[in-house]
Amino acid sequence: MEHIVGVADMKVSNRPGETLVTYSLGSCIGVVIYDPVVKAGGILHYMLPDSSIDEQKAVAKPYMFADSGIPRLFKAAYKLGALKHRIKVYVAGGAEILDQKGFFNIGKRNYMALKKIFFKNNVMVDKQDVGGNVNRTVRLEIATGDIYIKICGSEDMKI
Amino acid sequence: MTNLQQLLREIRNLKPVPAVTAQLIQVADDPGSSMEDIANVIQYDPVITAEILKTCNSAYFGLKHPAESIKDAVSMLGIDQVTELALMKSASGSLKDRQKGYGTQPGDLWRYSVACAVIAKKSASILGLADKNTLFTAALLKDIGKIILDTHVLKSSDMIDRLVADKGLSFREAEKKIFGIDHAELGALMLKMWKFSPRMVKIIRHHHLSDEKMIKDRETGIVYLSDCVCMMMGIGLGKDGLSYRFRQEVMKELGLSADDISLIIADFGVQMQQIEQLLNIV
Repeated sequence: MEHIVGVADMKVSNRPGETLVTYSLGSCIGVVIYDPVVKAGGILHYMLPDSSIDEQKAVAKPYMFADSGIPRLFKAAYKLGALKHRIKVYVAGGAEILDQKGFFNIGKRNYMALKKIFFKNNVMVDKQDVGGNVNRTVRLEIATGDIYIKICGSEDMKI
Repeated sequence: MTNLQQLLREIRNLKPVPAVTAQLIQVADDPGSSMEDIANVIQYDPVITAEILKTCNSAYFGLKHPAESIKDAVSMLGIDQVTELALMKSASGSLKDRQKGYGTQPGDLWRYSVACAVIAKKSASILGLADKNTLFTAALLKDIGKIILDTHVLKSSDMIDRLVADKGLSFREAEKKIFGIDHAELGALMLKMWKFSPRMVKIIRHHHLSDEKMIKDRETGIVYLSDCVCMMMGIGLGKDGLSYRFRQEVMKELGLSADDISLIIADFGVQMQQIEQLLNIV
């Protein structure tokens, strides 16, 4: 069964029959994590780097921001028995419009926010497909931990 | 280069966006208009009227008593909501199909267009522009040129891909280079033939700001901004993706900082669910 992770949303699972998918990442970032031993994983789809611009929204929709969403994704996976040192991390999205620079480059800022949080917490990214001007969809099969990426206009690709 | 005569023939063969739309925008954006004025314009189109009543009486709005006329609908849901529904109804027929050339599935372009329209209207209110229904509709219809250009884009897709990937052209620049006309210009031509106002035609034509002189035009700037926000959010994007140019000067013209853009995106994140529900009923 396929479960959709919406925009500013997060889901985790350890049910072998399930697939998690998040569509249309654009400049948003999809963080996929998976522990192959307990076969549990999840996807977070966040939109913006930093919750300090609107703290009320961060309370109502914590998955909207990197800083409030990423820790929650990991904690939710820990509850399913995942352990930090076994978790594999895949990152996709963070695309940019041509000539989008500096603070206006939300895609790049989204990615930098993730790198900063991971650096502080000693988390390594195993694989990633970020940047560029394309729209991405990411899928995680819970039974196998297989991850598929689809770029609009191309076929599904296994990572 | 694609023959302009051929494109014009294709436009003539297309079912136009109903004329009631152009009239409705004019009345809705006139501060002197009453609820009755709005109702009168919509009632003129029986198909749209029937569809609006059906939508108003759907579970989504949860009305206690069914709306039996557009006047009922306006008094129960308010001018803004009914106008929005009428504008969406009139455009949905043209935008819901799949575009093979642009790599979108059925409903993608529609979802993208509605999201843009909602953001444009919201931004217009934030920035204090009075003609929010004009901007809503301009953002809703801005990509209508794609429905004609699509088959041509499909035939030339290898050439476009090369220009975009290897030569660093934007998708619009590639269209212009190959066909001599881009989807923005073509959309403007369509709306002109369908008797939309010169203002609407102007915004559609320039919505990618290929002409630098238009950067100072606030109405065009708002539709441009909403397009950029939707691209970043990725909702309903095709294979052209984010391959368009970002003009930072527009944000300065509109008085918007990068944080303001983030706030617009955050607002949109909260509204997403509402938009999805609306999409399901229209």
